[in-house]
Amino acid sequence: MAVDETVIRLQNVSKTFVIRDKKVAPFFTQLGWLVNGKNVRRIEALKNINLEVKKGEFLGIVGENGSGKSTLIHLMTGFYKPDKGGKAEINKSFIRLSLGLGFNQELTARENIYLNGTVMGLTLRQINEKFHEMIAFAELEKFVDTKIKFYSRGMKARLSFAVAIHADAEILLMDEFFGGVGDERFKVKSDRIFKESMIKGRTIVHVSHNLSTIKHYATRVILMHQGELVGIGTPDEVFQIYKEKLRVEKLHLRDYIDEDNAI
Amino acid sequence: MQQSITYYLSRILPENNQWERIWILAKTDFKLRYYETTLGLIWAFLHPIIRMVIYWGVFSYILNPDIPNYGMYIFSGLIVWTYFQEATRKGLMILRNKRYLYENIRMNPYDGFTSSVLSTVINLAFNVGVFMVLSPFFDIGFSFNMLWSIPILLNLAVLVYAISLILVILNSFLKDISQVWDVFLLGMFWINPIFYAKALIFETFPALMYLNPIAGIIVNLRDALMYGQMPDMTLFWFDWAYALALFGLGAWVFNTFFHKAMEKL
Repeated sequence: MAVDETVIRLQNVSKTFVIRDKKVAPFFTQLGWLVNGKNVRRIEALKNINLEVKKGEFLGIVGENGSGKSTLIHLMTGFYKPDKGGKAEINKSFIRLSLGLGFNQELTARENIYLNGTVMGLTLRQINEKFHEMIAFAELEKFVDTKIKFYSRGMKARLSFAVAIHADAEILLMDEFFGGVGDERFKVKSDRIFKESMIKGRTIVHVSHNLSTIKHYATRVILMHQGELVGIGTPDEVFQIYKEKLRVEKLHLRDYIDEDNAI
Repeated sequence: MQQSITYYLSRILPENNQWERIWILAKTDFKLRYYETTLGLIWAFLHPIIRMVIYWGVFSYILNPDIPNYGMYIFSGLIVWTYFQEATRKGLMILRNKRYLYENIRMNPYDGFTSSVLSTVINLAFNVGVFMVLSPFFDIGFSFNMLWSIPILLNLAVLVYAISLILVILNSFLKDISQVWDVFLLGMFWINPIFYAKALIFETFPALMYLNPIAGIIVNLRDALMYGQMPDMTLFWFDWAYALALFGLGAWVFNTFFHKAMEKL
């Protein structure tokens, strides 16, 4: 039972956003819009998506900017509701990881660890226990009580990774979160932890432009194009479709892949 | 090794991620407000005192009111008013400020509000503390009726919570709401018995006492804290009913429009 258990299910999911072209408008103009509905556009961000994610799967989501990848993640989490007729379910505890997490620049690493730790479902007692481990992993022992606005980009990336590996969630929805962080030495270390403990036993949905990570870890990949799911299969199968799509649009897949050129 | 109150509390209290998260969020809000400055937390004490002294100086000169202990009279009114003003202004922005939380985890949408209200309540408690410390210097003795201030201030917090639920949704659809609310607050400031004797307004417009729940809360808090009296129980229950009814309405508005509002942000 456990192997085939569906943890995320999207049925006939479409998502239409109603947007106003002029973002800031006077109050009475807005009241006018309420009456006559002008200046309103409908954007179909997702069109009739059907998808099931099984427990323990590593699902990669690829596609160009604006193809609906992040909207798809937001529908999985329930942050957005699908249009009428669609159904989106997620059955296990989850967390969406995006770069920078919820770090507040004005807080120290210590304060940010407590803030983000509780957000990620850890109890304070668990954070107390893991605190030194996180700091040591991020190699920030000398900067524990420094505000992170003084951190370099690499230091922040290390800290967010160190906190995220302890997230108390069965499903990790990674929105451009992982693709090698910090310098080369840290990259090797984080790659190892990513493989050995972060994704182990968890269900992963990974949105990334870094196709080499997806190539290495994904068990299944979907390709999004203009709000539609246009390809599903192994990384090789889907990358082939992606390549073809980009060729038609005169783009090159290698621009989307890291220097190690996974394809 | 520097350890915070949170660290020690977490060692003795039972583990509960939801409440711990609310506490950490509230504490962070409060901290960011005061700890950035050189004087830090001292501002939390200085603010209400300075405000009281300014208004006291100006209004005792202009109004020349026949109210004994006028400084403390103003102070008690300001405790309620500043809290209401600051907390609702902050409440208006909750979805925007806490978007990263709603986006990333399965969180009860009310948690963001509870933490925000809690952080402003910490501030409110500071103001009440300052009032209590100053009281003996103004011949205000201790009375057990002062304890009535707890349910009265709780009533105020529920009212703020309810209004925030409605404002935050409105603010997602009509960005001008924050401006409209500021104007509304300005008007409210002058129709509340902060500087005037309550009779001045309410004998002329008795309906205001009931239409505007803040007025009742100010009058009752003053009775409890300054005069050591029982609150006016009709007003007390009326204001609680008002806050709870508004909370019901706020919860309905919030539950119905929460997801739509988030898409608009």
